[in-house]
Amino acid sequence: MKWGMVIDLKRCIGCYGCQLSCKAEHGTPPGVFFARVLKQEEGRYPNVRQLFLPVLCFHCEDPPCEAVCPTGATFKWPEDGIVDIDADKCVGCRACMMACPYGARYFHDVEQFYFPGNGPTPYEQARSARHQTGVVMKCNFCRDRVLAGKEPACVANCPTVARYFGDLDDPTSEVSRLIKERGGYTLYPDLQTGPSVYYLPP
Amino acid sequence: MQTVSGRYEQLIQDLRASVRPQREWIERQGLFLIVGHFLSGVGAGTWLFSMAFDFPVGRPLGWAIVALSGLFHLLFLGRPERFWKMVQVGHSWISRGFLGITLFLLTGGVYLLPTYVSGVPWTAEGALGQVALLLSYLGVGILLLYKGFVYASSKGIPFWTSPILPALYIAYALRGGVAVLLIGVPVAGNGVDPHLVELLELWIGVSAAVLILFYLGVMANTNAVARRSVHELLQGRVAVSFYVGTLFIGLFIPIGIGLASQLTPLSQTVLAAVGVASVIGDFFVKFTIAKAGIYLPLRPLRML
Repeated sequence: MKWGMVIDLKRCIGCYGCQLSCKAEHGTPPGVFFARVLKQEEGRYPNVRQLFLPVLCFHCEDPPCEAVCPTGATFKWPEDGIVDIDADKCVGCRACMMACPYGARYFHDVEQFYFPGNGPTPYEQARSARHQTGVVMKCNFCRDRVLAGKEPACVANCPTVARYFGDLDDPTSEVSRLIKERGGYTLYPDLQTGPSVYYLPP
Repeated sequence: MQTVSGRYEQLIQDLRASVRPQREWIERQGLFLIVGHFLSGVGAGTWLFSMAFDFPVGRPLGWAIVALSGLFHLLFLGRPERFWKMVQVGHSWISRGFLGITLFLLTGGVYLLPTYVSGVPWTAEGALGQVALLLSYLGVGILLLYKGFVYASSKGIPFWTSPILPALYIAYALRGGVAVLLIGVPVAGNGVDPHLVELLELWIGVSAAVLILFYLGVMANTNAVARRSVHELLQGRVAVSFYVGTLFIGLFIPIGIGLASQLTPLSQTVLAAVGVASVIGDFFVKFTIAKAGIYLPLRPLRML
C-alpha cells in the first residue's frame, strides 16, 4: 500500500481551508506550515488569471530528506509509504531542509504562540504539547487520522473537494483513476524523487 | 539580532517570494555550522601538512582546531545533547563527517598524548602510536571529503548540487592547512623551508581559483535557480563578501604575493600574512557559497 494525494487545480479556489485545517489539526506554531497555498498571478490586464498551488510534503518514493538524515529521524513507514519524522531522534541539523526540493520542512527553533504576550491558549497548550523545539517538523499525511480510518485534515476539510486521498498502488482507487484519466503530474519529476502527491491540470 | 517575530515576518516574506534564500545554514545558529566547516577543513589540512613537513607544533594545533570545529558543529545543532545519535555508519554524509571527527580526535589524541603527557604506557613511534596515526589519516580524509558531499547532496539547493563542490572544499581545506603552516613557521618552524611551503600554497591557491571559476561557470549554465545563485554571488546580496573576502583577500593577495615570492625571496612575516589572508579566504568561500544558496522555487512547471 502506498498512500497518495491528488489535488485538482481546476477545483482549488485558494481559500486556505487546507492550510487552516492543518494548523487546527496539528497545532503547528507560527512559522510552521505543513500545508500551504501558493498564489500566482499570470498574464496582463485584462487577460489575467490567478493560479493556486496547494503544497505539502510530497511523501516521495525515494525521499532525499531521508538519505541525508544523520540519525535516521526521517524515515518512511514501510507499510504505507508515509515519510515521517521521529522527533526524539532529530538533532536539528536541518540537512533535510536543504535536501527537500519541495520546501516542505520547517525548523521549530523556539516555542511560539499565536498571541504573543498572552502565552498559549488552552487549545495551543493541548495541541502543541507534542511539538519539540530544536527539531524539524513536516506533514505526515495526518497518519494518526489515517490509521483511525479518516482522511487527512486538509482532504476532509477542503470545501471544493479538490483533494483526493487513496492508495496509489491500487489501480482501481480513485486517486489512481484520476491520475490516469486526467493526466496527473508531479512537481520536478526530473529529480526522480517519486512524489506521492499529484496535481490535475487547471 | 532578529527577534522571534522578526524571523517570522522574514519567513513569511521568503515563502511568498518566487525565490527563497536558504537561511538555516548561514544565519543565527547557522553561522556556527559555517565556522565548524571552515575549522574542520583547516584543522585536517594542518594535521596533514604538519606531518608532511615535520612541523611538530602543527600537530596539536591541527587537533585542537578540529576539536573546536566539533564544538561549533554542536553549537549549531537544534538538539546538541543528542549528538551521539549521529553514529549511523554510512547513513549520510553528516554522520560520516561525525564519525570522521570522532575517529580523528580519538586516534590523533592517542598519537599525540605520549609527546605531551609523561607516564603514558605507549609511545608515538610504537605500534599503537603508528596505528593511531594511520587511523588519524583516515579521519582526516573523511574530514576533507564530507563537507563538500553534505552540500552536494542537498537537492533542494541547485547551486550546491555539483560534484565540483567537494573538490573545491578539499582544495580549500588543504590550502587552509598550508596557510596555518605559513603562519606558524616564523614562530616555531625550525627546519621547515617557508619558501617551499609558500610554493605549495601558491599552487593550491591557483588550483582553488581555477576550481571556483570553473564551478561558477558550470553553475551559471546549469539551471535558472543555480544561475540566480551565481548572480547573488557576483551582483547580489553576497557580492561584497565574495569580492572582498573570497576573491581579493582569499585569492588575489595570496596568489599575487606568492608569485612575487617566486621572483624575490620574501620575509617570513610577509609569508605569514599570506597565510592569514588564505585562512580568511577559506572562511569566506564557505560563507559566500552557503549564503548564495537558493531553494528550488515551488512554482508548478505547467503553470509557468
